[in-house]
Amino acid sequence: MSQSLFSQSWYRVAALRPRLRRHAEIHRQSFRGEVWYVLQDHQTGRFHRLSPAANLILCMMDGRRTLQEVWEAAARRNEDDPPTQDDTIRLISQLHGSDLLQGALPPDLAELAERSESTARRTLIARVKNPLALRFPLFDPDPLLDRLAPYFRPIFSVWGLLVWLAVVISGLVVAGLHAGELTGDVAGQMLSAQNVALMMCLYPVIKALHEAGHACAAKAWGGEVHEVGVMLLVLFPAPYVDASTSAAFPSKWQRMMVAAAGIFVELFLAGLAALVWATAEPGLVRAAAFNVMVIGSVSTLLFNGNPLLRFDGYYIFADLIEIPNLGSRANRYVFYLIERYALKIEGAKSPVTADGERPWLFVYAVAAFIYRTTVSIAIASFIATQYFVFGVLLAGLALFGTVVSPLVKGLKFILTDPKLNRRRSRAVTLTSAATGAVLALLFVVPLPYTTMAQGVVWAPDDTQIRTKTDGILTTLLVEPGRDAQAGEALATLEDPSLDSRVAVLEAQLVELRLRYDAARLGDRVQAQILNEQIASTQEILRVYRERQAGLTVRASQAGRLIVPGAVDLPGRYLRRGERIGYVLTADDPVVRVVVPQTDVDLIRNRTQGVAARLAEKPEEVRAGSILREVPGAQQEIPSMALATQGGGIIAVDASNPQKPVALQSIFVFDVQLAGGLPFNVLGERVYIRFDHGAEPIAWRALRSLRQVFLSQFRV
Amino acid sequence: MSDPLALSAGSAPGAAFRVPPARAYSERKPLKASRLDQAAARVIGRVRVGLAGWAARRYARIARAALAQADDIAELSEEALQFRIQAIRGALRARKTFRDADIAEAFALIREMSGRVKGQRHYGVQMMGAAAILDGRVAQMATGEGKTLTATLAAGAAALAGLPVHVVTVNDYLAERDAEEMRPLYAALGLTVGVIKEKQEQPERAQAYGCHITYCTNKDLAFDYLRDRIALGQRASDVRLKLESLHTSASRLAQLRLRGLHFAIVDEADSVLIDEARTPLIISAPAGSQFGTEVLARAMEIAAALKSPEDYLIEAAEHRIILTDAGRERITGLAASDGRGEASAWRGRVTREGLVRQALSALHLFHRDEHYILRDGKVVIVDANTGRVMPDRSWSDGLHQMVEHKEGCDLSGARSTLARMTYQRFFRRYPRLAGMTGTTRGVAAEFWTVYRLPVVRIPTHRPVQRRHLPDEVLPDEAAKWRRVTARIAELHARGCPVLVGTRSVAASARASTYLTGAGLPHTVLSAAQDGQEAAIVAQAGQRGRITVATNMAGRGTDIKLGPGVAELGGLHVIMVERQDAQRIDDQLAGRSGRQGEPGCFQAILSLDDPLLDGSVISRGLARRIMALLGPDRGRAFGARLLRHAQLRTERLHGRMRADLLHSDQMQDRILAFAGHAE
Repeated sequence: MSQSLFSQSWYRVAALRPRLRRHAEIHRQSFRGEVWYVLQDHQTGRFHRLSPAANLILCMMDGRRTLQEVWEAAARRNEDDPPTQDDTIRLISQLHGSDLLQGALPPDLAELAERSESTARRTLIARVKNPLALRFPLFDPDPLLDRLAPYFRPIFSVWGLLVWLAVVISGLVVAGLHAGELTGDVAGQMLSAQNVALMMCLYPVIKALHEAGHACAAKAWGGEVHEVGVMLLVLFPAPYVDASTSAAFPSKWQRMMVAAAGIFVELFLAGLAALVWATAEPGLVRAAAFNVMVIGSVSTLLFNGNPLLRFDGYYIFADLIEIPNLGSRANRYVFYLIERYALKIEGAKSPVTADGERPWLFVYAVAAFIYRTTVSIAIASFIATQYFVFGVLLAGLALFGTVVSPLVKGLKFILTDPKLNRRRSRAVTLTSAATGAVLALLFVVPLPYTTMAQGVVWAPDDTQIRTKTDGILTTLLVEPGRDAQAGEALATLEDPSLDSRVAVLEAQLVELRLRYDAARLGDRVQAQILNEQIASTQEILRVYRERQAGLTVRASQAGRLIVPGAVDLPGRYLRRGERIGYVLTADDPVVRVVVPQTDVDLIRNRTQGVAARLAEKPEEVRAGSILREVPGAQQEIPSMALATQGGGIIAVDASNPQKPVALQSIFVFDVQLAGGLPFNVLGERVYIRFDHGAEPIAWRALRSLRQVFLSQFRV
Repeated sequence: MSDPLALSAGSAPGAAFRVPPARAYSERKPLKASRLDQAAARVIGRVRVGLAGWAARRYARIARAALAQADDIAELSEEALQFRIQAIRGALRARKTFRDADIAEAFALIREMSGRVKGQRHYGVQMMGAAAILDGRVAQMATGEGKTLTATLAAGAAALAGLPVHVVTVNDYLAERDAEEMRPLYAALGLTVGVIKEKQEQPERAQAYGCHITYCTNKDLAFDYLRDRIALGQRASDVRLKLESLHTSASRLAQLRLRGLHFAIVDEADSVLIDEARTPLIISAPAGSQFGTEVLARAMEIAAALKSPEDYLIEAAEHRIILTDAGRERITGLAASDGRGEASAWRGRVTREGLVRQALSALHLFHRDEHYILRDGKVVIVDANTGRVMPDRSWSDGLHQMVEHKEGCDLSGARSTLARMTYQRFFRRYPRLAGMTGTTRGVAAEFWTVYRLPVVRIPTHRPVQRRHLPDEVLPDEAAKWRRVTARIAELHARGCPVLVGTRSVAASARASTYLTGAGLPHTVLSAAQDGQEAAIVAQAGQRGRITVATNMAGRGTDIKLGPGVAELGGLHVIMVERQDAQRIDDQLAGRSGRQGEPGCFQAILSLDDPLLDGSVISRGLARRIMALLGPDRGRAFGARLLRHAQLRTERLHGRMRADLLHSDQMQDRILAFAGHAE
């Protein structure tokens, strides 16, 4: 509706003589160069931001003037933009809703009861709707803080800041010096079982100190802190304090400091911990210090410091850019833009109250929405993997809150809101068009579809030259890099014990024969025994001779001899079966690719092309094709280069020291590259891209969702 | 009635003594409906629409039971009848809810009394309808089924049970006529009847409302209630009022008109409760003008200087003006251009634009003879809904003065609102509400959701013999009137009486011009709604008559067929414009073929019908399509187009009513601090 100064309901309020209750307090604040007033309700702890005009109205409500007189005076004062009667009614109504008004009328008990009921209902609904952040208030810490005030107040001074800076900077320096030590395998260290237990013990302590920081800061500048409690954040208990009285502070730096106090405390702790960590011997203390460092720096800055979440960072940010109530106004601004420019509603009301707010509001709304949706889906799926039924319920609720309910609300707005009465067809058309476009993008427009995997350059088993017996390699008969014929001797091994053993056996054989000849005529039984011994010894000798022959290593096929580390080889003792090198033809080296089980079906059935990049030459893309695949799943990985420890992507079970075993089943494909591979890159990492043609995004998402449900939830 | 008998019966005190009311001022607490309740009500409403016919079975049982007693009662002597009436009076009073057996007996007695006093005995279907009314429902009875007589049963029975009854009609004439017609019957039952007339003052009204049964119009009733509410003011709890009446004779109770709201029987329920639901009822008092003559004149000057698509947009459908950004700048420029821009009214942007917007509305949205007429040099508002003039109403916020300025009248003083409400809000306050109507098509669900009134379909006494000819749709207005006059001439030549139904007084005037041009003698009814008009309508069934009337004209008046007319096919009704709702078309059709008489209904329409304003298919395109499709299919297409436009209008109006109710409730919540509303 167009803005009109007069209200049809004005006659009902014109003669009232309301007065503000005594417990309400008004504070003057400045936002973006404009003066605003903040009305503080000490009873409920709520704040109302008032424009100067509204403040004027409030100040003139003394219980003697009628509302008509008040409004007329306010309108005279602000001739250019007088408060409309509707604005005034809304203001008074809001105050009444917060029980801030005192008037001549007797209180309507039924109305009061109804209002308190609806408040209780709303609180309950808010809890049910957001079970991932339940609050349980515990006690009022204000008297305690009053008593402690002399002790903590000095902290909030220049000296306090200097001490803080000194600790944090030295902590940073220490951490910088030990950067390599600190960053190596953080995840592995953090997530080991003992460490999780340690962290569980430290976390509440750190967070309690964090909250104490807020409380002390609020107290230090004259605020009040009346609520301390425990909040179940994603089912994990975390303490909280209500330091909202700081909203009344006139200086934005003080308000920001109260919001930032928790982060300051944690950074301080992290700095101290860094110093301890650097000096302590390995042990519990050092581990604890490490944890404090991580929690106090990384997690604090990521979570508490993040303005996109409704934690400390949000309030700091909102105060910094002087846009109070940033979150909800940002959303309203986006809706306003839609209403005004997409739906062409002329009377749409912009929540912007100062210049320069627009870009902030817009960017914030979009960024926060994307971030929040991602995080809540991530949290939901995380919980869902931990506790199935409960988790899926929670996930469903989170999904409802972030996706379904806004959709339903939007739909309801489009279909029933009276604002759209003359523009409904336009709104419906626009919405359907936008929805259609999004759906088309998701379901119809094919986009390139590929799977990325890693592999190593691999020589097939039958090209490997392995020793047939133990021995010291004396010489390579064919120089590595030269071609060898099939059956050509490639290297000789030496095993002195083998030679002597053969000599002993031969001597033994001669002796046995002699003894046999002697006994043959006399003692037939003895002769028979000796005969058996001769046969046995001959057999043993044959075996040893064969081993002796095995000391000469021969090529099983024609090809080029490749011996990695050929220079070091002569003189080395090789065990039987150990690999000396390869005899390769041009076709032989392939890329052995390892893929997790989720991608197998796609690669097996829908691969239209394979492209590869060698790690040493990433700029060169080479085409290839799948040569063969190992038909079953396996756990062993062909090369440590593919494991996470080796820089690959396959997670390896660290508890099995003998063999690298993948945590999840893997599938192995051999990919042959067109033009073959040089022989000198054996074992090198190769990045492979399997091209599956083009497919719309939604189908892919559905496929992976199905897989997630199968693997995570076993349904 | 004989007093000794009454006293001996021991249950009914005479008129001299009245039991003090249980509640000082009865009314139902506002329905507190949460969103869930409303959603449930919508579903239940739909279901109840489906069950409308089925629910009538219980009432049929009551009617049968009453008829079964008829012979026995007919043999009773006058004294014995009176004695039985007093006895049933006691029986009805003794219980909180009415028992079916008591109702049947009361109906049988009233019916017999009616037969003895007036010579009219109620039919079974009328008793069914009355039972439904007594049960707090809307009885849907075909036109001409004798709703006035039906109401006597329900009103009589309820009054015997001690409930003050308001019988609500749509105009003064009907209220007075019905009351006078039924007074002998009520008197014989020992009941007093009051009539509310336009010029009555408070004591007279209080006396009329003090009768057992009061006939009144919806407007009088609602305004009297509103005045009572002003008199009661805030702090009007039951106990407080009673205590007050004990210690002072000038208590607020003594200044009231009504005895509170108890039981209302609303005749033409769809018209009062649905069509007029949004009519604002405003009581205002003279107040100092917000703006001087000079300011208003200047606003009109500026408004006249603005141009339509550049500076402002006219949203005819929503009845409002939207200023464009360019327009705002021009206003600022124009207001500042001469020295007068310094006047305080022009300095504030909001005030300035509000004034100009009002002026633009006065110029472009309000048209003479459509929204207002000039009478004795004064601007008098015409109710858009009913076409009636509203001499005591005025527009607010300077608009009225601007319209006066536009017409060159003397500027009247501004008025300020004292109280306002809508029929929707008003009738929801009755603890017991019932209605009668000829048709509830498309609004039965709304009756439930808004008023918690279920609809019961009552069968007709005799089968309906009205013929409906297919709709004719002609490409434009001129062709339509040619066709209409040709058709009327043809019927007139045969001697058939013809009733031409229009949408507005203006359309009636147009029809008259065409008929005069064709040399057809006819009578035109303005919406005066008085006895004379009713007499003309009553004569519309005479041989060879041609009557032109709006839908509202002569409502509630039976059109009796003249001698020999039945053989000619009865009254022939021609509708020349579609109404805002099919329901209202049905009412027009119901003018013919009453009580099983023959009749004929025909719609001759054109694509120039106002309903097609703002239609998706433009008129030009529609004409071309019609020409393409050929005569038969073209007509079907046109008929469907109009029907669709009508449906759209119905839906729009329905939504506007729902929005109003919703915004009223929101408003109440916002204004909770100001105490309860009127």
